[in-house]
Amino acid sequence: MRAGSPLRVLAAGLALAMAMTACGPQPPDGATLLKQSSQRMLELKGFHFQMQITGFTGAGEPVQSAQGDAHPPDLHAKVILKEGAVLLEVEVIFKADKIYLKSFTGGWQELTAAQVAQFFDARLLFDQQAGLFAAMRDTTAPYRGNSEKVNGHDAYTVDGVLQGARVHQLLPLIRDQGAYHATYWIESPSNNLWRARVSGNLFDASQAATIVFDFSNHDHPVSVSPPPLG
Amino acid sequence: MITPFRSARLRSVNRPALLALTGAGLFLASLDAYVVVTALLPMLTSVHIAVNRPEQATPIITGFLLGYLAVMPIAGGLSDRFGRTRVFAACLALFAFGSFLTASAPSLSQLVTGRLLQGAGGGALVPAVLALAADLYPAGDRSPVLGAVSALQEIGSVLGPLWAGLVTASSFGWTWIFWLNIPAAALIIWALWPEIRSRREERRPANLDWVGALLATAGLALLTLALYAANPEQSPGGAGFLWQAPLSLLFFAAFVWYERRTSHPLINVRRFRDSSFSGSALTNAIAGAGLMVALVYIPVLANAVFSMNASGSALLLVRLMLGIPIGALLGGWLAYRLRSYRFVAALGLVLAAVGFVMLSGWNEGSLKPHLIGPLTLADGELFLTGLGLGIEIAPVSAALLDVVGEAERGAGASFLIVMRLVGMLVGFSLVAGFGLWEFHRATAHLLPPLPGLNPNFAAQFAFYTLKVEQAIFDEYHLIFRATAIALLIGAAVAAATLRPLARPRWQ
Repeated sequence: MRAGSPLRVLAAGLALAMAMTACGPQPPDGATLLKQSSQRMLELKGFHFQMQITGFTGAGEPVQSAQGDAHPPDLHAKVILKEGAVLLEVEVIFKADKIYLKSFTGGWQELTAAQVAQFFDARLLFDQQAGLFAAMRDTTAPYRGNSEKVNGHDAYTVDGVLQGARVHQLLPLIRDQGAYHATYWIESPSNNLWRARVSGNLFDASQAATIVFDFSNHDHPVSVSPPPLG
Repeated sequence: MITPFRSARLRSVNRPALLALTGAGLFLASLDAYVVVTALLPMLTSVHIAVNRPEQATPIITGFLLGYLAVMPIAGGLSDRFGRTRVFAACLALFAFGSFLTASAPSLSQLVTGRLLQGAGGGALVPAVLALAADLYPAGDRSPVLGAVSALQEIGSVLGPLWAGLVTASSFGWTWIFWLNIPAAALIIWALWPEIRSRREERRPANLDWVGALLATAGLALLTLALYAANPEQSPGGAGFLWQAPLSLLFFAAFVWYERRTSHPLINVRRFRDSSFSGSALTNAIAGAGLMVALVYIPVLANAVFSMNASGSALLLVRLMLGIPIGALLGGWLAYRLRSYRFVAALGLVLAAVGFVMLSGWNEGSLKPHLIGPLTLADGELFLTGLGLGIEIAPVSAALLDVVGEAERGAGASFLIVMRLVGMLVGFSLVAGFGLWEFHRATAHLLPPLPGLNPNFAAQFAFYTLKVEQAIFDEYHLIFRATAIALLIGAAVAAATLRPLARPRWQ
C-alpha cells in the first residue's frame, strides 16, 4: 500500500496533466481579454489598419474609409471621402505635432489641427486616451463568444456596449447620445486585436451605420517621416 | 473558323426560331461590350474607388476586352467539336455568371473578374452564332443571314452605352444593367433547351489550336499589364514594363513561330507578307483604338467637366455612335461605286481624324452655341467622327477578305474582329496611362486651397476648380490629338497598302 502511493500520485498527476492538455488552457473572460488586448495594442511599435464605414453616414460625415500604418500618434493613411455621389482620395501624414495633406492635385501641404478637424482627424482613432484601444477598457457588459477565423487568425469575439459619448471622441461626427454595440475579435494568448466593429445609429438617430476596423502587422515597427512640401 | 457542315438534319429544324434565339443572346452580349463607359462613375463608387484614382477603372475596360480576345479565336473550333447550340449555351451561361459577379461585386477585383468572364462568354458567342447561321442556310442564301447577325452585334454595341446610361440614371442603378442579363440569358437557354438536348447537331473532331491561342493570350495579357499605369503619378506605363513588354513580344514571336508550323493555325501568318492584308489589319486596329478612345473619353469628359449624369453623357455619345452605322453603309456603297478600297478607307480615317482634331478644341462652352434648332457644332463634330470611323469599316474589311479568299473567309472575319479589339485594348491602355501621367505632370504644383481661417477660400477654391478643369481639358486635347495622328497614320497605311476591288465575276 505504502509502496504503491508514489505511483498512484504519479498516475493521478499524469492523468491530470493529460486531462489539462486535452482541454487546453481556458481563455480569459471577456473583460480580461479586453483589458489585456487594450494594453497590448497601446504598446505596439506599429501596425497596419483599415477602417470602413458602411450604412447611413449622412451629409455631414465625409469619411468613408481609411487605411494606413500607424505608430500612434504618428500615422500615414489614405483616406476616402464622400463628396456628393462620388468618392475622393486624399493622403494624410501625422508626424509629431505636424499634419500634412496630399489632396487631389499637387504635392504635400501642411495643415493646422483646426483644418484637419473639419474633415477627419485620424490621430484621434488611436489616441492613448480618446482612441479605440483605450475605449476597449470602457466597454461595458463584455461577453466572450466562440473563436472565429478573422483574416486567417483564430480570435475570440467579445461583445459589449460603448457609450455614445465615448465613441464620439474617436470620430466627432458620431452622435454622443445613447449607446452602441461593439464587437472585438481578439486572439489569445497573443492579445492581438484583429478586428473591431461598432454599430448602431451612429450618424443619425433613426438610421443604422457600422464602422469596422481591421488590424494587421502587429508590432511591425512603423516609422513615419515628414513628406517634402510642395 | 466558320466551317458550315451543310447538315440536312440541322436545316430541318425551325431555322428562323433558332437564329432569332441565338441572335438574341448575341445581341445581349454585344449590348454589354461598351456598356461600362457611361456607368463607370457609379460603378467605381460602389467598389469604393475614388474618382481621383481613375487609373483603377482601367482593368474594368481592359479585362472585358482581354476575356473577349482570349476566347473568340477558339470558340468556332469549340462549336465544331461540341456542337453549336451547346457551346452557345455554355458561353451564354458564362456571360450570365460574369454578369452576376459584376452586379454583386463588393470589390474591384470581383468587378474585373466579372467583366473578364462576361468578355470571355460574350466573345465566344460571335463565332458560334456565325457558324450556326452558316450551318442553317445554304451557301447561296447565307450572305444576308451572316450580314444580319453581324449587324445585330454592331447595333448592340452601339446601343450599349445608351442603354447603360438610361439604366444608371434611373432609380434602379447601374447594377441592373447586369442583373437583367441573368433572366434574359436563362430564358434563351430554356427556349433552346430541346435543341441543346437533342443529338441531331453534327459534331466533328476539330483541330483546336490551343497552343496558338494560349501563346497569343499570354502575350496580350502581358502587354496589357505592361501598359497598365497603376501609378500614373510616377510613370505612364506599368511598374513591370521593362520585363513584361519584352516577355510579351517573346510570346508573340513564339505565336508566329508556332502558327507557321502547326497544321491548323488560328491565322495563316504567311498572309502578313501580303501588304494589303497586313495593311488592312493594322488600319483596322488603329480604327479600333480610335473608337475606344471616343467611347471612353467622351462620357468621362461629359461627366468631369460638363457635369452631365450617366444618361446625359450617353446621349452625347449617341451622336457619335449614330454616325458609325450610317458611315458603314456609306463606306460600303462608296467603295463599290468608286471601285477603290484605299481611297474610301483613307477618306474615312481622315474624316475621323478631323473629327478628333475638332473635339480636341472643346472647352467649357463647346456644348452651348446652337447652330440649327437644338443642334450644336459639337453634335456635328461627334457625328463626323463616328461617320469617319464607320466609313473605313467596309473597305478595310473587304480588302482583307479579298486577300484570304473563299476558303479562309470565316477565319478572316474573326481575325478582323480580333485586330479591332487588339487595337482597342492596346490603344486604350496606352492612352489611359499617358493621359493620366500628363494630368499629374500638369497639376504637380497645383495645391488646393484649404478651408479654415482662409478668408478668400471661396474665391481661391473657384480658381482652383477652374485650373483643374483646364488641366482635364488639356489632358483630353492631348489624347484626342494623339488619336487624330494615329488615325492619319492609319489613313496613310490604308492609302499605301489596300489593293483595288476585285473585278466582279458575272455568273
